[in-house]
Amino acid sequence: MADSKHKITRDPITGAETTGHVWDDTLQEFNNPLPRWWLWAFYGTIIFSIVYWILYPAFPLGFTKRGFTEGISTVTFKNKAGEEVTSKWNTRALLAHEMQNDPNELKRQEMVKSVAATPLADVTKDPDKSAFVLAYGKGIFGDYCAACHQSGGQGVIGNYPNLVDDAWLWGGDAADIETTIRKGRKGNMPAHKGTLNEEQITEAANYVLSLSGEKVDSALAEKGKEIFNTKGCSGCHTPAATGMKALGSANLTDHIWTQANVPGAKTVEDKVKAVKAVISGGIQREMPAWESRLSNDEIKVLVAYLKLLSSSAQ
Amino acid sequence: MANSAVMGSATAGTSVSSGAIEQYNYDIVKKFALMALFWGIAGMTAGTYIASELAWPFLNFDIAQITFGRLRPLHTSGVIFGFGGNALFATSYYIVQRTCQTRLWGSGLANFTFWGWNAAIAIAGVGYLLGITQGREYAEPEWYVDLLITVVWVAYFLIYTMTLLKRNQPHIYVANWFFMSFILATALLHIFNNLAVPVSFLGIKSYSLFSGAQDAMTQWWYGHNAVGFFLTAAFLGMMYYFVPKQAGRPVYSYRLSIIHFWALSFMYMWVGTHHLHWTAIPDWTSTLAATFSIMLLMPSWGGMINGIMTLSGAWDKLRSDPIMMFLITSLSFYGMSTFEGPMMSLKSVNALSHYTDWTVGHVHSGALGWVAMVTFGSFYHLIPKLWNTTIYSVKLIYVHFFLATIGILLYITALWVSGIGQGLMLRAFDEYGNLAYSFIETVAFMHGPLVARAVAGIFFVAGILLMTYNVWMTIAKRETLRSTATSAAKA
Repeated sequence: MADSKHKITRDPITGAETTGHVWDDTLQEFNNPLPRWWLWAFYGTIIFSIVYWILYPAFPLGFTKRGFTEGISTVTFKNKAGEEVTSKWNTRALLAHEMQNDPNELKRQEMVKSVAATPLADVTKDPDKSAFVLAYGKGIFGDYCAACHQSGGQGVIGNYPNLVDDAWLWGGDAADIETTIRKGRKGNMPAHKGTLNEEQITEAANYVLSLSGEKVDSALAEKGKEIFNTKGCSGCHTPAATGMKALGSANLTDHIWTQANVPGAKTVEDKVKAVKAVISGGIQREMPAWESRLSNDEIKVLVAYLKLLSSSAQ
Repeated sequence: MANSAVMGSATAGTSVSSGAIEQYNYDIVKKFALMALFWGIAGMTAGTYIASELAWPFLNFDIAQITFGRLRPLHTSGVIFGFGGNALFATSYYIVQRTCQTRLWGSGLANFTFWGWNAAIAIAGVGYLLGITQGREYAEPEWYVDLLITVVWVAYFLIYTMTLLKRNQPHIYVANWFFMSFILATALLHIFNNLAVPVSFLGIKSYSLFSGAQDAMTQWWYGHNAVGFFLTAAFLGMMYYFVPKQAGRPVYSYRLSIIHFWALSFMYMWVGTHHLHWTAIPDWTSTLAATFSIMLLMPSWGGMINGIMTLSGAWDKLRSDPIMMFLITSLSFYGMSTFEGPMMSLKSVNALSHYTDWTVGHVHSGALGWVAMVTFGSFYHLIPKLWNTTIYSVKLIYVHFFLATIGILLYITALWVSGIGQGLMLRAFDEYGNLAYSFIETVAFMHGPLVARAVAGIFFVAGILLMTYNVWMTIAKRETLRSTATSAAKA
């Protein structure tokens, strides 16, 4: 019995020998040698690693100059003083080298420089510079602005203004747009549910909708006009209801809605309801200032980008 | 020797005598096996749900507890420690008894490992939903759960070692080497990665003892070795028992098993830092991580070769035995992902793959393709043995195999498209040298592949549900047979 448990046997199918160990009645092992290709491939990976260790920083050794073996590879780059420096390979030097030599980066830097040196009005007229601004600006806009204003700049009604419709709450001149980006904006309309009653709010809403040519109850709109002019609305929105750039108050006559979702409402009742919500609840919104996060060149490109975006949407 | 001869005749026959069942502690194996299925369903369902959230964000429903950030650790802990952990306890307790030909040491302590381990996962899981987390990937549980896990693990180590010591076999079978290295390495990793100080006396929140780059490197030393020792070495242990058992053939090469075992154990410990390439870590750590990852390729493949070549002389089983199909397919995915891994650890490849879905796809080709498939195959072999019966439906095993395989292939392919696509988009330049795409455009591009990935998850979950039904019916059928026999005897 003992012998049969520990006897090396030969497999009738493959001819391989077992080790003679048997577990759990049937578990056995062949004593096949290591596959040749496997062994050589293993040696290959070891040789690959040794070469890697010779070329690059690899092992931490206390007695070496910098505490680790530095490898024999080097990187050449220009330091802050503009002198060419060659150092042992390291990722910081590699980054400097690539930012100074990568053909894409050199091209981009050249274009940024030429846009920076050109007056904005000329940038948007020059086809090559415009194309660059649209491409570079799309990236800046996508990374910093699109989270609120959406990747196409179309905004979200009720929260974030549409930037491609050529209607600007805070002014659409290049200088205005630049100020908006640099300093941010605080949009504020007081809530009127304390000063107007339900009926008055309904009337005001009807009037506001009539300004945009919506088919509303004309009797209510007429009463609403009275409220608009006497209860404080016209103070910010002006008696003509065309808004004031200095306050960021909306033009209510241009069929453009940034807060009340009038275009999305199917019935007149829903439109009235949407406007009423704004009148009674007011508006509190803020766009952050980007001055400290974007460079002057980036801001200039962004302004030009927005100008091109809104004019192309016309 | 006489004892083993009796055992041999008992297990070789179709019916096992009651004496044989008592010789081994099968009760603990059964408990762990069923819990593995429970956590498998829970963890994989959670995974499919968060995959769907990525494709259709409205599924968050603005409920904090079910957002991606809360459910994701529930998914990872559920499948790695719940499904994988319970499966490893079950199979290791089974294998160590069968290959040492002795009963498991410490029945009470073994029961403690069962309740302790599962309580730890449940407490941690509820905590995640409430927002309680250490924020360390795959080690999210806070300090009090970590302490419980430590105690359970020491008990596990004791049970395993004592059982090995009282074995009735002259040699220790290769599967047990892998399980021992898994138990020892996991203890080491768990303790050092979770060294933390609670903010207040008995307070829930704690902070790591390490900071900055050292903390990140400790975390990924743990994180990658969780893959190396928990999800690789231990499951190789499972493979080394169930593949030759199911094939009825000897393991291909004893020598290869020795060499690849020691090489794998030695190499894995060095590679974790490849998760941190191109970040604020010393350059030499990146070099070591990349080169040891490359040198790990062949030691990893040693296990695949030994598993697949074990079938030489019995290749026909790939057509006729669905359990063998599970096991061999799992080894193929193992080989594929252990090739992909070293490739991704090269710094130039990593520059593209890192922070993209390619990494997520790679993990799942290992987790679904290797870990889950080898477990499914082993369980289909194990469950009928434990309950002394035959499987309820072989046909359903085939269906499960195809559901799982289609699911995995769709999953990996979708995330190759998503990950490599996003990686290429993020580094594309236009004619002026600008980055051609903004981040949001890459996200928009990923929508299609993410939908496909969610669908793949549904396939995989459907598979494990089918398996659970099959296992349930197998056990129920066996109960019916027994009760019929009893009533017949009474009559």
